[in-house]
Order: sequence, then C-alpha cells, then structure tokens
Amino acid sequence: MNGIHDLGGMHGMGPVDPEPNEPVFHEVWERRMFGVMMATFAGGYYNVDEFRHGIERMDPAEYLHSSYYEHWLHTVEANLIEKGIIKREDLEAKWAQVAKGAS
Amino acid sequence: MAVLTKEMVSGLVKTGASCRVDYAFTPRFQAGDPVLVRNIHPTGHTRLPRYVRGKRAVVAQDYGVFVFPDTSAHGKGEKPQHVYSVGFTARELWGPQASDRDTLHLDLWDDYLDPVRSSS
Repeated sequence: MNGIHDLGGMHGMGPVDPEPNEPVFHEVWERRMFGVMMATFAGGYYNVDEFRHGIERMDPAEYLHSSYYEHWLHTVEANLIEKGIIKREDLEAKWAQVAKGAS
Repeated sequence: MAVLTKEMVSGLVKTGASCRVDYAFTPRFQAGDPVLVRNIHPTGHTRLPRYVRGKRAVVAQDYGVFVFPDTSAHGKGEKPQHVYSVGFTARELWGPQASDRDTLHLDLWDDYLDPVRSSS
C-alpha cells in the first residue's frame, strides 16, 4: 500500500541523529513489548508480513507521532484482534481501566 | 498452539525468523541482467518502495528463494520466489542533479521485476 511508512525520498523529516550510547530499551514497557511480540510471534498468531502490514495500516498521523515500539504494540493488538485471540471491547475496557489509574 | 520456550529465545532474538524457503528452481535473472522494476501500486502489503517503481536497474546477486510478502501478509500463501540484490544509479532514481558516483542496492522479489530486452 502507498502508505506513510514508505518514506523513501521524502523531505522535511530532519537529519538522522543517532543517540550516543543508545540503550536497547529506553523504557521498561519497551522491554515488555519486545517480549510480548516474541511470545505471540513464536505462538504462531501472525507471520512477519502480517506484523509489518499491521503497522502500515496505522492512521498516518498516529504513525508519525508514535515511537518504534508503539508501532509494535499497535500491530500486535490489531493482529490478535483480527485472529480472534483477544476482543477489541476487552482491550478497550482494559485501556480505560489503565487510564483511570488502576493496574 | 506453539509456545515460545526459553531455548528458542536466543536464536530468535539474534537472527530473527528466516523467510528463506527450501525450494530450488531456476532463477529468472542472473547477476548482470538489466531489469525494469514494475510500476505497480498494490493496495495490500508490499516490500517494493514507491521511489524505485518504473526504474531501471541491474541485478547484482541472487540470494535464493524466499516467501513473497505481498501474498504472505494476506493469507494467500508463500508464493516462494527468488530475491535479488538489485542496483540502481542515484541518477536513475533522483535525476541528473544526483551524484554520478552513487548507487543504491535494494533486495527485491522476482515478482517486482521485468526483464529488459537487449534490443531496447
């Protein structure tokens, strides 16, 4: 698909600015996200191409505003919902609970 | 349902899961062959970037046979095919103002390429 992910040749994105001594994970949740991806991928819930396509199908503005592991979270959620492993309403209920400060 | 075991983690993290397919058949192109990248705009998943569509290139290397992402992403099977390292000149991609020394190589699936006849 001709989506926002296909950035090759685009101007205005600023310089590539690598962070010195960049850690593998910047936040604890990113480490957890990595584990969730590995477990669900090895579980056979989606293949690598379905994983990538889930990121491509993000809302373009959200795609540009979100980080690498947020993209992972988005596609894992989308794939698990589409494969019937989790229900969208259950996920949204959990998000609402988290937003209220409960764990 | 498969489960991620402790023993699997190290390999998976180090190398990822390979999409190489053990399926030998004759490649359509050889190193040195001129090719024309297809100008296609699939609405589903593809690994073919927009900026190389319709551009001329030369095959640099044949990597072997791999799963085709454009079908695999949509439950339409592996459609195994050769993947090649394909070289473009910067000027072919970005026009006469680009450097005449720079080149770019992309890994492209057989289905993205058309042969260029020597007469053309």
